[in-house]
Amino acid sequence: MNDESIKILDGIRFSIWSPVEVRKFSVTEVTAPETYDEDGMPVQGGLMDNRLGTLEPGQKCATCGNTSARCPGHFGHIELAEPVLHIAFIDDIHKLLLITCRSCNRIKLASEDLEKYKKLRDSKAAYAVITLENVKDEIIEKAKKVKVCPHCQKEQYDLIFTKPTIFVEKTDVGENRLLPITIRERLLNVSNDDLILLGYDPKTARPEWFILQVLPVPPVTVRPSIILETGIRSEDDLTHKLVDIIRVNQRLKESKEAGTPPLIVQDLVDLLQYHVTTYFDNEVSGIPQAHHRSGRPLKTITQRLKGKEGRFRGSLSGKRVDFSSRTVISPDPNLTISDVGVPTDVAKKLTIPETVSTWNMEKLKGLVLNGPNNYPGANYIIRPDGVKIRLDYVTDRAAIADSLMNGYTVERHLMDGDVVIFNRQPSLHRMSIMAHNVRVLPYRTFRLHPAVCPPYNADFDGDEMNLHVPQSQEARAEAALLMKVQDQLISPRYGGPIIGGIRDFITGAFLLTKDETLLTADEISNFAYLGGYNGPLPDPQIEKDGKKFYTGKQLFSLFLPKDFNFVITSKWNKASKLQGKDVVIKNGQLISGVIDKASIGAEEPDSVLHRIAKDYGNDEAKKFLDAILIMLKTYITHKGFSYGYSDLWLSEETRNEISEVIEKTYNKIGELIKQYHDGTLPLTRGLSPEEALELYVVNELSRARDRAGKIADRSFPDDNSGVIMASTGARGSTLNIGQMTAALGQQSIRGKRIIKGYRNRALPHFRPGDQNPDSKGFVKSNYRDGLSPIEFFFHAMGGREGLVDTAVRTQQSGYMQRRLINALEHLKIEYDLTVRDPHGNIVQYVYGDDGIDPAKSDHGDAVNIIRLVESESVVDEGVKTTETEMKEMLQKFKEKMNPKLGSELESALITYPLSKSGIKKVIHKIMDLFERAMVEPGEAAGVVTAQSIGEPGTQMTLRTFHFAGVKERNVTLGLPRLIELVDARKKPVTPTMDIYLDEDHKSSREKALEVAKRIIFTRISDLTSKVDTDYAGNLSFYFSDKKIADRGTSIQEIHEVLKSSKKRYEVTVNDELLLVKISLSQEPDAQTLLTLRNKLLNARVKGVPDIERVTIVKQNDEWVIQTAGSNLAKVVLVEGIDVDRITTNNVFEIWQTLGIEAARTALVKEITNTLEEQGLEVDIRHIMLVADLMTSKGYLQQIGRHGIAGTKTSVLARAAFEITVPTIARAALEGQVEPLKGVTENVIVGATVPVGTGMIDLYMSVKE
Amino acid sequence: MSSEKKEIRIVNHIYQPKHEILSKDEAELVFKKFNSKPSQFPYIMSSDKGIQGLDALPGDVIKITRKSSTAGESVYYRYVVEG
Repeated sequence: MNDESIKILDGIRFSIWSPVEVRKFSVTEVTAPETYDEDGMPVQGGLMDNRLGTLEPGQKCATCGNTSARCPGHFGHIELAEPVLHIAFIDDIHKLLLITCRSCNRIKLASEDLEKYKKLRDSKAAYAVITLENVKDEIIEKAKKVKVCPHCQKEQYDLIFTKPTIFVEKTDVGENRLLPITIRERLLNVSNDDLILLGYDPKTARPEWFILQVLPVPPVTVRPSIILETGIRSEDDLTHKLVDIIRVNQRLKESKEAGTPPLIVQDLVDLLQYHVTTYFDNEVSGIPQAHHRSGRPLKTITQRLKGKEGRFRGSLSGKRVDFSSRTVISPDPNLTISDVGVPTDVAKKLTIPETVSTWNMEKLKGLVLNGPNNYPGANYIIRPDGVKIRLDYVTDRAAIADSLMNGYTVERHLMDGDVVIFNRQPSLHRMSIMAHNVRVLPYRTFRLHPAVCPPYNADFDGDEMNLHVPQSQEARAEAALLMKVQDQLISPRYGGPIIGGIRDFITGAFLLTKDETLLTADEISNFAYLGGYNGPLPDPQIEKDGKKFYTGKQLFSLFLPKDFNFVITSKWNKASKLQGKDVVIKNGQLISGVIDKASIGAEEPDSVLHRIAKDYGNDEAKKFLDAILIMLKTYITHKGFSYGYSDLWLSEETRNEISEVIEKTYNKIGELIKQYHDGTLPLTRGLSPEEALELYVVNELSRARDRAGKIADRSFPDDNSGVIMASTGARGSTLNIGQMTAALGQQSIRGKRIIKGYRNRALPHFRPGDQNPDSKGFVKSNYRDGLSPIEFFFHAMGGREGLVDTAVRTQQSGYMQRRLINALEHLKIEYDLTVRDPHGNIVQYVYGDDGIDPAKSDHGDAVNIIRLVESESVVDEGVKTTETEMKEMLQKFKEKMNPKLGSELESALITYPLSKSGIKKVIHKIMDLFERAMVEPGEAAGVVTAQSIGEPGTQMTLRTFHFAGVKERNVTLGLPRLIELVDARKKPVTPTMDIYLDEDHKSSREKALEVAKRIIFTRISDLTSKVDTDYAGNLSFYFSDKKIADRGTSIQEIHEVLKSSKKRYEVTVNDELLLVKISLSQEPDAQTLLTLRNKLLNARVKGVPDIERVTIVKQNDEWVIQTAGSNLAKVVLVEGIDVDRITTNNVFEIWQTLGIEAARTALVKEITNTLEEQGLEVDIRHIMLVADLMTSKGYLQQIGRHGIAGTKTSVLARAAFEITVPTIARAALEGQVEPLKGVTENVIVGATVPVGTGMIDLYMSVKE
Repeated sequence: MSSEKKEIRIVNHIYQPKHEILSKDEAELVFKKFNSKPSQFPYIMSSDKGIQGLDALPGDVIKITRKSSTAGESVYYRYVVEG
């Protein structure tokens, strides 16, 4: 047990085996292609030689003498008859051949140049990081162009590289194939100094080793043969491939000795090269894959390592575990929120090791006596000498129970109260894995409280979940202290509760706490008892018909903390009465208002539940939740609540009203269509008549649906079940009710009305080009009455898009999540509260600028100062301070705390003045709460951030485009935009700018228009009305005066543009006709003329390139230009704009023109906007961390393989992320050392991850 | 018209926080405060538009005072690197 905590590995150095080493490590040369002889014995010198290790448990290894359990296996080798190229290093071979001299083998750069690079390399100034990275590429770029070697003055020939393995040199005499043997000669002479310049480590990788002369044969343990049920031995794919290599090698050797013609020998060499190549990688492009006899492609070394199911991601980063189980889940509201119901069958298989001591001897004896099949029992006994006794095989359990002694370990069944870990995939955030207490229950499903569905995102339509049993005391302690459900009440994503009442609990709370609810003494006693209340009953509040009644509010109040004060607005009040702040809780008494989702709901920040969790602690919140949930569940069960067909019934008048609304809309649309055909449709700027019509129609239809829905909604009484559910937030929305009872509304595909299907029509039932709402997917029926067949079809079309969308989205957001996790996983909070990677590189100086943990914050704030001061002002009795006194008192506070807290407290104290002692008290309390909300050193801030941004990704829409601000402007939003941002793309899909104007131009539309005309990019083609092409050599451009005026240019300007400097043609202008005529001197062929015409049409007249469309809008009393297309660097030069406020959504451009800090600001802003627009709440600290990380190197780094994940120091982390094999090959070439400091690396080697509780280490300051 | 290649320096943009160069002594204090080597600090390239006009050289430390929605104001340091 003691050696568990010792770190076994300090690091891993990667290198290439030299031929000498291969032979040294080899226990035998493998020469025989046969594996087993007729007797089934391994052939000596064959691939299954028993010196290479053992497979069967009984055998002993001929090399080390161990049995298969302890023999690690030993390498053999194959002496290749001809050298072959190693496919993993082929690019390096190519590069080296290109840049070194073919005769003297030095880098083809002058000695002085090389000396210069060497100096640069050796100087190692800390600020030269980026320059150093480029040295290698620079040398390669320069040297490969050199035609004459500066060292030996020999001429260099062109090298042709045909992928994957053929090199040909183009000499004066003709093409000459470079054989591996020649290549090896050349590489052999490359000097170590040159190699170091190129980044190679000659100690670990000499280039001649890239050419294989001897091939290591991996031990049999790497490629075990399996025996099928039929008794036939089946060999591993690698063995098959090695057999091929040996066979060809043999033939090659024989032919060489026999003096076979060189052409045939060459063919054999090529064949050997093919086999060796596919042995390393069977997915090389350019050569056919090697297949198994069955036709399945062989899985060779690269395939074993690569990809999701490969060694890295499939067996090292994620492993299969014991002591786990999986089954279907079902709800059980009778459990507490931290319970999990475990079926007895499962409890009998999962065990917990318990050491026998004097105190538990009797209990364990009883369990052993019960044996493995009677619950509660035990499955194994482990004696102190390590012998494990399986109780299944013990006949006399009484005897063995008596033999139990102190120090024995009994693996007993899972029992009530045991701490287990419960998980539902996909584990998108940390609340997807929580610790529960076991409740062993009958039947076959895991059971959980419905209130914990939101964190797991679970429902009960067949979902399965996994359960793990921690085996050691440490693991159990960690689970119990850090992972319990009640400790995960507050989501670190937004600092609000994620666990809370859902569905019927909300409805129940409403029914109980609404004003009309009366309870008898019997009832209230029963419910109070159910919730675990054991104090005195209050006095009944209501007297009716001479009898006394309690109110539902009184019952609910029993479970509130006695000194609890709170005021909020219930959802119900907001929805039905449009009034605020109805829920009033005073000294633990619910005075007025109804309790609904706003008070006790899940994912509802600043609720009653949230306040209780914050002010009274997690355990109190759990108690509160458990108590009210079971009570509410029972209440609604007894009272009864249903929603059915009859609840959707509408009166005749209402129905007529609805049809009338729809009919009116249809008429209006008919009118619009008529206007369109007449050409009298008013156009909005920038839209074609078709687009305008579509826009009007869609708006009209959506308004009609809303109106119809509202009519239906209004006609239902307040006690309608559907209305109750929708207005309290229990389930559904008014939109759903409208769709069920009024009209379904417009069905859409890609955000447009349904148009696809047939030519110019959606279905053959309509006339082509019909603009009628019916023919484009408007459904005027509702679910209650049913849809017509055509409507049904349209509905199915829209429904399918929804399904496709979900499928695509989960994939995309899953990959984004993986990239985020990979880029951020190694960031943690250090003891000085900085955020750093494992190499000490700083990302943030104080986490989130204020050092507050969002999970411990109050909806993002360290302290809710206003609330604190307000509640203090109620009890504060002294003489109120004056403002100057107060400010004086705050001086010290302000020095200590951050500016935000200071100003917040000051403004709060102005609203609610306090006495001196009151202020002191408040300051103390703030400091205390602030202290408590601080992040703890070791917190995996990176992972939390990655989860907090990745998880909401799943909930985002995929609908790419959306109108933003102006109707004419399309902007990418939702998930694609978020991906674009973390990708740090050079150009977003829809670049756009907001151009603010200076004092002179911002107040009038005309002035703004003037600037807009200067900005919009105008080509000749934007101004012409007609172009005539006369093939005799004349081009006539007719211009439209309206267009010219629109763009604010003139015919003279156009003339200037068209005038060529090269004078290949004459240009004449006719001012009156607005005609520019171009005549070529000689008659050109049609091709040249058309090219010239297109070139001229595309010529720029004025404006800023890339700015395709401009719109002028009024924002807060000033005119602003919004554009489609972005070009910050150029727009900034235009006169009349406010340079200091201009923005673009292209972060890359901002970096280029405004610098890295501006880019960070822009990133934070853009990510925040994208998430906010989708209605997703993410704490700003997470976004800041991502932005700081992306900009921490001084340039924009992508979250992904080309950015942060790809530049990690850890070889294993990079290999586990994406490009596995090339990463490892590179590591070997450069002699990289895996320092094992990060997270994935340590998971891979099986060590403790240095984050959180795994961070403990000896920290010591070393003398300077 | 298209050949003109002027560039203007924008230093007061709303996105740009205040940048200032720290003296050698101040920089040394910062290194000490965070107990880190210069190379472990976030970088800023010497060609960065945010520090044009400051005459920052590789090896300098830039102090950046940002507006922060969590702390009101926050200080960030970047180490100037070549590039």
